[in-house]
Amino acid sequence: MKPYLYLSLIPESLIASHLSPEEFGSYLSVGSQKRSRGQAMYFKLTDAYAEATLKKLGMDANLGRTVGEPPRRSAYLNIYRVLEQTPLEALESIHLTTDDGRVLTLKPSAYQQDLAPRFHLYQEFCPVSPRIVSTLEPKAFAQEITDSTKAISLPALVFTELKLEAMAEDPEAKAQNLPYTSIEHMRDCMRELKAKPSKKMKTVVRNLHSDLLYRTLRGGFYVATTGNGFRYFPMPSREELESTFYPWWRSALSSFGG
Amino acid sequence: MRSALLKLFRNRKFSNYYLGSFAVLFVAAFFAKPLFGQATGEAAHATGGHAAFKYFSLFSDPKYTPLEIYSLLAVLFVAVLGLLYALMLAKQVKAADQGTKRMQDIAAAVREGADAYMTAQRGKIIPLIAIITMVLYFTTQSEESAFKLGRAGAFLVGSFFSWLVGFVGMRLATMGNLRVAAAARSSYGEAMQLGYRTGTVTGMLTDGLGLLGGTLIFIAYGEQAYEALLGFGFGGTLLALFMRVGGGIYTKAADVGADLVGKIEKNIPEDDPRNAATIADNVGDNVGDCAGMAADIFESYEVTIVAAMILGLASFGHKGVIFPLLVRGIGVLGSIISTYTVKAGPNDNSDSALKSVHNGFWIGSIISVVGFIALGISYLKFDAAYLALNPMAKAGFPNGDPTQLPVWATFGIANADMRPVITCFIGVVLAIALNKVTSYFTHTTHAPVKSLAKACQTGHATNIIQGFAVGYESTVATVVVIAGAILLSYLCYMGTPPLFVAYGVAMTGIGMLTLTGNTISMDVFGPVADNANGIGEMGYDPEEMEKNEKGSYKRARQILSDLDAVGNTTKAETKGIAIGSAVIAAVSLFASFIAVIAVGSEDKISQMTTEQYLAEAGKLTVAHPMVFIGFLLGGAVPFLFSSMLIRAVGRAAFLIVKECRIQFRDAAIWAGTKKPDYGRVVDICTKTAQKELVGPAFLAILTPIAVGFLLGTQALGGFLAGMILTGQLLAVFMANAGGAWDNAKKFIEDGNYGGKGSEAHKAAVTGDTVGDPLKDTAGPAVNPLIKVMNMVSLITLGVVMKYTVIDDKLPTQSRVIGLLVGLICLVVIGWAVWQSKRESKELQEMEKQFES
Repeated sequence: MKPYLYLSLIPESLIASHLSPEEFGSYLSVGSQKRSRGQAMYFKLTDAYAEATLKKLGMDANLGRTVGEPPRRSAYLNIYRVLEQTPLEALESIHLTTDDGRVLTLKPSAYQQDLAPRFHLYQEFCPVSPRIVSTLEPKAFAQEITDSTKAISLPALVFTELKLEAMAEDPEAKAQNLPYTSIEHMRDCMRELKAKPSKKMKTVVRNLHSDLLYRTLRGGFYVATTGNGFRYFPMPSREELESTFYPWWRSALSSFGG
Repeated sequence: MRSALLKLFRNRKFSNYYLGSFAVLFVAAFFAKPLFGQATGEAAHATGGHAAFKYFSLFSDPKYTPLEIYSLLAVLFVAVLGLLYALMLAKQVKAADQGTKRMQDIAAAVREGADAYMTAQRGKIIPLIAIITMVLYFTTQSEESAFKLGRAGAFLVGSFFSWLVGFVGMRLATMGNLRVAAAARSSYGEAMQLGYRTGTVTGMLTDGLGLLGGTLIFIAYGEQAYEALLGFGFGGTLLALFMRVGGGIYTKAADVGADLVGKIEKNIPEDDPRNAATIADNVGDNVGDCAGMAADIFESYEVTIVAAMILGLASFGHKGVIFPLLVRGIGVLGSIISTYTVKAGPNDNSDSALKSVHNGFWIGSIISVVGFIALGISYLKFDAAYLALNPMAKAGFPNGDPTQLPVWATFGIANADMRPVITCFIGVVLAIALNKVTSYFTHTTHAPVKSLAKACQTGHATNIIQGFAVGYESTVATVVVIAGAILLSYLCYMGTPPLFVAYGVAMTGIGMLTLTGNTISMDVFGPVADNANGIGEMGYDPEEMEKNEKGSYKRARQILSDLDAVGNTTKAETKGIAIGSAVIAAVSLFASFIAVIAVGSEDKISQMTTEQYLAEAGKLTVAHPMVFIGFLLGGAVPFLFSSMLIRAVGRAAFLIVKECRIQFRDAAIWAGTKKPDYGRVVDICTKTAQKELVGPAFLAILTPIAVGFLLGTQALGGFLAGMILTGQLLAVFMANAGGAWDNAKKFIEDGNYGGKGSEAHKAAVTGDTVGDPLKDTAGPAVNPLIKVMNMVSLITLGVVMKYTVIDDKLPTQSRVIGLLVGLICLVVIGWAVWQSKRESKELQEMEKQFES
């Protein structure tokens, strides 16, 4: 039985498992008895890193299971400051799981900066999970937030950008298809950033209250670490989601009793 | 001996054969009797006291001109032409590409489920139909066996036609959905045309069979067709009630059950193949929206022609009967031509497709109206010779002289009476107006639905409140339109006795349903497109399609989605016509009801005088306590009926939830590696729908009988008036509020007020869930309820008058019999209500689980 190592984002934790990424996603979402449901996001860590970590922790590939026993679904190894202890290059892929256990795998790719001036809405996942509106594009935002010379900074951060549609250009624009709560507060935050160009970001929501609507994702997922460490996991295009990844996309669209 | 017989009759196989043979013999006798048996005039005089009866007498009756006889034969030919057109379209649909094996498997599962439902329903209905046939035979007031056979046989034929329309419509839909999904992979136009033509087959079958039945009865019975026409109408109506109620319970129970477990508990998408209720959900679309709706409209088609023929005979004589048949013939021709013009190009979208469907309706309307005028000019002439042969027609003209009619009523033609043409035209306008009213209150482009979507921003409760407001408001608009049409019909016949006015109203109904072929095509297109979308969802292989042609999967899905949207719109539009036609038919039948009371027996209706009619109509005033009591009771029945249906959906849905939960526990099913047992859920839906329709059916049939026997004919008159009023208001409210809630959700999902997943969307989902059983189960079932209660009242009226408990002029023995019948009806109704409130064993088990 091959052991895998996963870094779960909600809650931040390091988990060893005999389940493959797809099986693990389904397990996290709906459990083994299918009596629960919930969104899950996690990184699969490289096999080399997994082997080294398990060895360091004194665990073998069986994860405590003896011959004849079913595979180990989850063995929590750490639940504190996991991300900052994980090297960037160990993050092999990120997996987005819908409520009903469908899994989408995102692989890292080169990032191209989009420097056009506009507002960005970021959802952070771990180690903290506020929703921030900012004038900085993702890479600049990553550097800013992980800059250890600043009074407020993080050693590492996983975040994604959310769609703002017309509001990205104009805080007063209509928010027709944006399902966020407290849109008016978000407008206030954007107005404040517009009025004070020196201010680069503003917290809109202090904590992630509910599941993320995957349809609101823009670009993909980003991982930043101090010292300008940066990794980008792009989302497939809308066309790819509607054809190649349709079962996942449909499930993602149909969540929340739709 | 008794137990052996009981055992034999309880044997399902034997009883099916027995009842089937019984039905075949009866139908054969109905058609064969006219050919071999001729009642003599002496016999008729000796027994019934009415004029000598001869089958097919119109062929030798000098009253009928050769042109009239040829015209009737031409109508028969047109009816057959409509059926042949349906056959041709069915062949076209059948010959189309059937897609991949996976798609065919899914379609086959849906078809099997739908067939299982129809078979189970047939098994349940046949005994009841057999019993009612016997009752109708033996309770016919006339002693003339031809009339007894006519009423019972026509009832059997009417119910068979109604069932056939529903069955074939559903069969075609389950065949067409696969072809539409297959065609969507290559062309929008082809897919759209196949879907629409699938619906047209059902539409033309309705047209053809309805016209064939009515015309054959008139040709066979001539001016004494009253009993047979009533039987024919009642047969169609009763079957429509069963199909509507059973189909409505099935479709919503499957839908709600699938959603409760799939979308809400498991958060998986609609039509997800892992959900065991998915196939049942698709089957439900067919049995509810195809079979149910087709039988419902067929019934309206039948009842309006029956009402027009009965009233036409009693007012204008045989011209009053032949004219509606000819109008229907023109309508069939209009439908054939106009439905064939509905086409779409390979790259069209939902807007252009909808435009093509609407253009088809307009073309049909224009053909029909031009045809009515031409027919009126050439046929509706009432010269002195005609009036001498049909003296009762004189009352329909100022001073008994057609030449004194104003110019607008004669179009300047000597002796012509174009009022029936004008009232038909009012009917066509009424159909269009009702479409527009329904569309206004339920379409996303108009203010009411937008107001609901807006209300969703402030939560679930405000959406529900706004939905109620929109629904209530829509009833007023619909009532105003219908009342306006009746008023215009009345104005056409102002100054004439009420029977003539009622004929005008009946002709409005004839005009309204002229384009039944188009209406049903539009309606059936909805579930066909919906099912095709489901087959695409479950049956398409995205990887394979993308490999063959880049972007083909997305394009095909988009085509199906667009067609589904068009189907939703067209389906919603036709609901207004179904409700409107029920009201118009009921108002027309109400005049027949008064006429029967006025003359004391249905077989003397043709001898009624205007004075008799006016005297009886004058007694039906709410100032009379019995009328008022009847009015109150009648007004309450549609509410009780709706309550029973909604509860039935809840109970059935719980059973489905239970079964789906069990199947979801199978890890292989959840992982998608094992196919769920769809058949088990289909079985549950089928059995439950059959079981649950018994109570509401008893309520519909027995309540007017109980009121009639216990409280008398005046109370029954009040009962019908109250029932028509609240029934139509309730039906419109439920259909439009449900439709508005549904579309408010769609409006938000299209990217408004936060779109899918937003708080507004969650509130919209609640509204849609509340509206679902209203718009798809209870609302549509109220239409046949209105007509069944009217028909039952009319059919039993002759007997009721002889055994009314409160009539102190009747002998005690008769009153005791009436009391017993009334009490038996009350006991059965009480049982039905008690059954509707009981908690099933499964529900109690589930409650225990929640408690623990």
